[in-house]
Amino acid sequence: MTLTGYEALFFWIFGLAAIFAALLTVMARNAVHSALFLISSLVSIAALFVLAGAEFIAGVQILVYVGGVMVLFLFVIMLVNVSAEERGREQIFNRQRQVTASLIFCFLLVAGVLSAVNKGYRGLKAQHPQQEAAVAPASPDGPSNATGSSVMTRDTERVGGSLYRYAALPFEIASVLLLVAIIGSVMLARTLKQEASADDVDPETLQEEIARDPELAKVEPQSE
Amino acid sequence: MTMLNSFIPALAFLFQEVEGGMLSQMKYAATHPDLSKFLVIGALLFIIGVAGVLTRRNIIVIFMSIELILNAANLNFVAFSRYLQETGSMNAVAGQIFTVFVIVVAAAEAAIGLGIVIALYRNKETIWVDEIDLLKW
Repeated sequence: MTLTGYEALFFWIFGLAAIFAALLTVMARNAVHSALFLISSLVSIAALFVLAGAEFIAGVQILVYVGGVMVLFLFVIMLVNVSAEERGREQIFNRQRQVTASLIFCFLLVAGVLSAVNKGYRGLKAQHPQQEAAVAPASPDGPSNATGSSVMTRDTERVGGSLYRYAALPFEIASVLLLVAIIGSVMLARTLKQEASADDVDPETLQEEIARDPELAKVEPQSE
Repeated sequence: MTMLNSFIPALAFLFQEVEGGMLSQMKYAATHPDLSKFLVIGALLFIIGVAGVLTRRNIIVIFMSIELILNAANLNFVAFSRYLQETGSMNAVAGQIFTVFVIVVAAAEAAIGLGIVIALYRNKETIWVDEIDLLKW
């Protein structure tokens, strides 16, 4: 897989954008800024997916991550309202020693991963020596794209087909996982009042809490 | 004149060296990014995510760093999927399918994690992870 021409240019633009946006995500003081930088990083990665010929995954990335998960993040940032703490002189990183240790660890990880990529890629090239010459994508029967340097793939069709045949069981398990996640997050985010009205609190705990907050005693358990 | 005659081949040799030398190799690598460049970008995103998890105090930013780590893995999956498509492998889209499942699990993880954050904030009034030490002995 060698990108040429405009694809190479866009690869570098979006790759560097993804890395810098990721750095700013980690460095930003305000959590809302972090979320916005993470959105730009995710969009750049979606562009890299398009360059790698995975249009469907790029669409899913934009829809699910940027449209769903990041909106959820922004809602939670709004709910916990940390702006007062952020404006103060509150430290955003851990203490000096922990940061130093983790950065040393990260540099070692960088060195290890990069050398592994280098070595492994050389071995891969030795295994498929004709890769350099092969520039034609898998399905040349689709319409050509605007730059003319490559053609659109039938990627979505193949992914959809394999998703329902080759990966049918994991697909069903994923749907159950999402159901569990929905129910779990609803259960986790209930207030004590909501728990009391669903008659789902330990009686001793409820008595303690009523001593602190008399309002709770008025909540009647609703039975359906 | 004889000096010039011997000079020109030397210059030609020198330029030839430059042509096939390290500089032009680097230029070729930069204008023809391949699988290894995708892997390097994925590795850098992964490391940035790990650094974020290890150094930040804000639990929401830690969750965002975890999303970065998952995306770095996705980038590798997609790049290898493209690579295998060109070698003519039968199951080349498996990488993309795996990416779909990673995105599903990431969405579930974000929902549960943020639910925990809200419950935690309601009880402890803090989102700094070094102040959440209920299980610490």
